[in-house]
Amino acid sequence: MADTDIDTEDDAQTVTDGGSGGAQAFFEQAGDYQATSTSRKDRTYRKLDLYVFAPFRVAWSDWRARVGISIIVFFILLGTVGVELVEEPLMNEGAPYTTWFQTWEMPLGTDNWGQPIHKMLVHSTPAILKMALAGVLFAVGLAIVIGVVAGYKGGTVDYVLMTLTDIIMIIPGLPLTIVLLAIWQPRDPFVVGVVLAIDSWPSLARMLRSQVLTIREEEYVEAARAMGVPTRTIVQKDITPQLMPYIMINASNAAQGVIFAAVGLYFLGFLPDGGAYNWGVMMNEAYQTGGALANPWRGGHWLFAPMIMLTVFTMGLILFSQGMDRVFNTKIRARHAKTVADDEDELN
Amino acid sequence: MNYYLRRLWQAVFTLVVVIALTFVLYRMMPGGPIEQMEQRMIDEAIGSGQDPDLQYIRRMVEIRTGIDPNKPMYIEFYEYMRDIILYQDFGESINSGDPVFDILFYAMPWSIFVSVYGLLIGFTANIVLGAVMAYYEGSRFDSGSTIVAVVLNSIPYYVGAVIMLAFLSFQWELFPTGGRYWAGTEPGFSIEFALGVLHHGALPIMSTILIGFGGTALSMRGNCIRVMGSNYLRVARLRGLSDSRIATRYVGRNAILPLYTGFMIGLAGIFGSSIIMEQIFTYPGVGWYTFDALNQRDYPLLMGILIFFSTVTVIGVLIADLTYGLIDPRASSNDREGF
Amino acid sequence: MARSADPVVELDNVQVHFNDTGFIDKLRGDETIVHAVEDVSLDIAENEAIALVGESGCGKTTLGKVAVGLQRPTGGTIRYRGQDIWEAKENGRNSEIPYSKIRQSLQIVHQDPGSSLNPNRTVLTSLEVPLKMTQSEMGADAREQRIYQLLEYLGMKPPQDYAHRYPHQLSGGEQQRVALGRALLMSPDVILADEAVSALDVSLRVEMMDLMHDLQEVFNTSFVFISHDFANARYFAGKVGGKIGVMYLGELVEFGPAEEVIRNPQHPYTKVLSWATPTLDPDLAAEESMDPPVRKIDIPDPVNPPSGCRFHTRCPDAREACARESPSLQRGETDSLVSCFRMDDQHEYWNSDPFEGDDDPTEREHAGEQ
Repeated sequence: MADTDIDTEDDAQTVTDGGSGGAQAFFEQAGDYQATSTSRKDRTYRKLDLYVFAPFRVAWSDWRARVGISIIVFFILLGTVGVELVEEPLMNEGAPYTTWFQTWEMPLGTDNWGQPIHKMLVHSTPAILKMALAGVLFAVGLAIVIGVVAGYKGGTVDYVLMTLTDIIMIIPGLPLTIVLLAIWQPRDPFVVGVVLAIDSWPSLARMLRSQVLTIREEEYVEAARAMGVPTRTIVQKDITPQLMPYIMINASNAAQGVIFAAVGLYFLGFLPDGGAYNWGVMMNEAYQTGGALANPWRGGHWLFAPMIMLTVFTMGLILFSQGMDRVFNTKIRARHAKTVADDEDELN
Repeated sequence: MNYYLRRLWQAVFTLVVVIALTFVLYRMMPGGPIEQMEQRMIDEAIGSGQDPDLQYIRRMVEIRTGIDPNKPMYIEFYEYMRDIILYQDFGESINSGDPVFDILFYAMPWSIFVSVYGLLIGFTANIVLGAVMAYYEGSRFDSGSTIVAVVLNSIPYYVGAVIMLAFLSFQWELFPTGGRYWAGTEPGFSIEFALGVLHHGALPIMSTILIGFGGTALSMRGNCIRVMGSNYLRVARLRGLSDSRIATRYVGRNAILPLYTGFMIGLAGIFGSSIIMEQIFTYPGVGWYTFDALNQRDYPLLMGILIFFSTVTVIGVLIADLTYGLIDPRASSNDREGF
Repeated sequence: MARSADPVVELDNVQVHFNDTGFIDKLRGDETIVHAVEDVSLDIAENEAIALVGESGCGKTTLGKVAVGLQRPTGGTIRYRGQDIWEAKENGRNSEIPYSKIRQSLQIVHQDPGSSLNPNRTVLTSLEVPLKMTQSEMGADAREQRIYQLLEYLGMKPPQDYAHRYPHQLSGGEQQRVALGRALLMSPDVILADEAVSALDVSLRVEMMDLMHDLQEVFNTSFVFISHDFANARYFAGKVGGKIGVMYLGELVEFGPAEEVIRNPQHPYTKVLSWATPTLDPDLAAEESMDPPVRKIDIPDPVNPPSGCRFHTRCPDAREACARESPSLQRGETDSLVSCFRMDDQHEYWNSDPFEGDDDPTEREHAGEQ
């Protein structure tokens, strides 16, 4: 070990500091644990076990997370692999307005042009995923930065950031985003996602701020401050992990909000479809052209199939965030980690 | 300055900034309402075979939008705000020519009726359901309700609205498919009119309840369980406080508190979603006019609506903030040293 | 005042006022100022044990946090080896002793063992923080080895097992030891132990205090030990020949060598504390007086403290002079500094009438904690 380096450093400190001489002497005469010290490999394994394997085991032990993860993975596969496997729908592949469960080739029926519904659903998925991803990254990232900084720094910084947050929160979200979308007419799903998430971050930012206000008064945060730990590190190591449940749940909510709004706006015909397939566009056409409401036996399958896709996907997001609740509970995670001593001899 | 005055001032300031931002947004945006209207009139003129008279078109646009492009923006803004504050003059709708204030004034009660009832019923039902779920935590009722709550929470409100409309109105004809009251009845204090209003409002209210339904119940359940496991509750039990006192004073209060701000902000969200909702139910409230105004680029009406939505949100957040300090003493200590 | 030769930390006329104005008051424009600490001067020498004792709300925790630079005083100064702490914080690197050095030298151990450790971190990761702060060049192996050594010394064996536990898997006493260890790894000059043993079982308190004494010797650290329990303060400061400071409503009313304060309390309030506390030491138990030396039990409001000597409303020896004038710390017959007119034979106190107060003086009750 590089013990000699440390010694010189400590000696240098002893000159100015009467305190550390004692500490140095103590550590020199105390028992030697060299033999039991862990190798780098062990340490890496321990880190992986604590931060990767144990959380996953906890998540998997919860049915909600299990179902949620499965649904999300299914949609991701649908949007990536599925698009490669299922060909793009063509007109007149089947008879127009074939309802569902009639033929094997077109289990979900066809639209007014005879395009198979199931192919349209598959090819709608990538756009939805892109919008959700862009929206979540934008909203959650901004909310974390603003909420945590405002809560921890306090004072003027807090005042300025919260005033900004309030202003954004108060600008009516949906009308504003509709106006922006109507003016810009963006076709890139990433841009649509970000615009629709413009109003999703302020509430999370405010929530995180109030959590930080509570956490920063915790004694271990004061202890960290007493040790001179830089603010950045305190925020990253002591405060943000406590916020993870809120962040995860809100990330899922933001994704849900973006998808709701996007599909809703395509459904009402506000957003230009640009010829791409989209659950909302399908619903719009089924509603407008197919008359699905007045005559559900003719066009209902066309309207309801994308609705079901939308609902199942949101359900996956909700179940996932519900199940994640447990992952951030240290007591449960400790029980699932192999490198943490068992609770058997817990003294509480 | 004391906290509450400062908060009030902040709210007013916020509102002015919001209005200013939207005001600038409309005038600055490339392809904004002025350019679009000009373009449309030029196109119309060319379409009808005439040579477009730019001078004339500019004047027409100026008259119809009330915007004078030669005046500096801040004077425009000052005049706009002055008209609103002194004369409640929001300008005239480009589309119908009616004063914006009148359109909003007649449409607003309908939207508020639907939103407030939907939100109140939904929130109460969710709180009660969440508390009961927490009380029977781990039982079959709890897990059953959790699944129902998750499924309900997963259904977008407009999907719920469309399904209800398809089956309850079109298929079984239990509810009307649109409108606000029966065509035959005169608006006024008559029983037929009131019943008609309820009948027409039932589906929009039910879909409003669906917004966020289940989500609040699940949060309430989680909060209750967390509070019930905390130390101070054990102390309260040891002190021999009655169960009902513990349930209301300790569990209820501390579990609802985190949801409280959400409720106030939720009000604004619901007004926003009325744009989609009222379209589906053909229910001419503020949302309906918003949709129209957006499609027609009816700029004065749109500004009026944005101001309306903003004001509602500002007031909601302000009430939440001012009262939150009363309920949770921790939140009001704002004289903290910055770290 | 309470001075010593070559102090590590010097507090000069420290005053802390909190603005605690409530909602209704704010509407009315009334300000509520809590006088938490009022004009206290105190020195902390190298390797010293000081116990601050007083009722809940007397400002001892606030004073303690001022002493370790975690609470900014609203008046007076606080210096670390001659360098003003808050000036150093503002001046950054330009100050004579850098703020980071001061920060490292003054540490805290909190009252609630449950919340003094980050619940999301194992003991090892929590204890790595101070080592990373003070000796950034130290390798991971050496760090781990030191932590094992320390844990073993703190009585947590086997350390390899304890190091990988989360705080919720430790008992209250163990959590407190880890918190103490974390403070020690900074090699501080002063550790503020804020009610550090109060949350523990009585049986564990003495053990914990003995551990602190051992550590004080080994690590050459001063302790400021805060307690509302005179018995703890007596044990902590008495055993190693430290000092005891008695606080009442934000003021230091008696300060002196532990031995003196214990055996020969001078201030009437110290006598009350002394009387009300069953001693841990049987030799002292015999000397307990039988007469409850206090007027009434209500503690005055720190927002609106009594005029003159703040203790006069409860003092059995109070005279009219006490309500008019406030005494300052002075030396009496013993080595202690006492804030009471009775220390001064010439004071007009001796000629003024006994204080009657607003209440019936016959309403004498037993004074006690809470």
